[in-house]
Amino acid sequence: MTASLRKLLSASWLCTAAISLAAVLATATTVQADDRSSAPADAVVYIGWPNDGEVINRRKFRVWFGLRNMGVVPAGTAFRDAGHHHLLIDTDLPEADEEIPADKHHRHFGAGQTEAVIELEPGVHTLQLLMGDHNHVPHNPPVVSKKITITVK
Amino acid sequence: MFRFLFPGSSDNADHQSVFDLKRLCSLTLLGALVAVVPVTHAGDTPITDDALVYFIWPKDGAVIKGGKVWVRFGLRNAGIAPAGIDRENTGHHHLLIDTELPPLDEEIPADRNHIHFGKGQSEARIELGPGKHTLQLLFADHLHVPHNPVVKSKQITITVP
Repeated sequence: MTASLRKLLSASWLCTAAISLAAVLATATTVQADDRSSAPADAVVYIGWPNDGEVINRRKFRVWFGLRNMGVVPAGTAFRDAGHHHLLIDTDLPEADEEIPADKHHRHFGAGQTEAVIELEPGVHTLQLLMGDHNHVPHNPPVVSKKITITVK
Repeated sequence: MFRFLFPGSSDNADHQSVFDLKRLCSLTLLGALVAVVPVTHAGDTPITDDALVYFIWPKDGAVIKGGKVWVRFGLRNAGIAPAGIDRENTGHHHLLIDTELPPLDEEIPADRNHIHFGKGQSEARIELGPGKHTLQLLFADHLHVPHNPVVKSKQITITVP
């Protein structure tokens, strides 16, 4: 075997190894994505009220959750094409493949609620809805509303 | 039967126990029936007293051109769970179209006048012909039987010109 042929063989082995590694990594990523609950491609979650840009003259008000082409199921129960609402207040979207945090910026509605009364300090706030599955993990694809901005007076 | 009247011999003891087992089974079955019947009869799944269903849209008296409308179900102080899922203080929506309330201690019928939303939906697209129509929401448990107390909306009337 000539030296150049040996070099070529070792290079091709390295190449194969790299491709295999890449394939393993890709599979791992796919598995992770598949772990998330699926949601219908046409599922839509939206904030029915308040409207984007709404000026609200009271601190306590009711937020209405709109959901199309998908159902509501309380947290803890796995059900096809269903989930429960999470209201994100003054924050950006959390990680897409992890449990949604539970704090004052991430309100969970695990009892299957479709509306909620919230209280905010006067000022400008953002609101966004994100559906989560029985484990509070966003679906695949994520079902997320537009982020709206409101002013509380 | 004769043997059962003379249970003294060891030969009959087994028959006696079989007889007792049969009687026990019958009694248990009867007991189960007695226990189950009132529950079915009463439509007794409890729900909080302040649970409320209402129409977010359409409003009472609305005029819907073309007859196609997204009906939005409002629910307060309770949650949605799909049919078949038994979770405390939850249920699923039923839309009654052009009909009065069904018996409230039975499973809600499923037909064109009684639409079930057993997948946990909170809104639905419906299409109605020209004329006046009534709509009413009735919440029900995992077995499609209304709760105790009954959670129902006002019956509204809409017009399709």
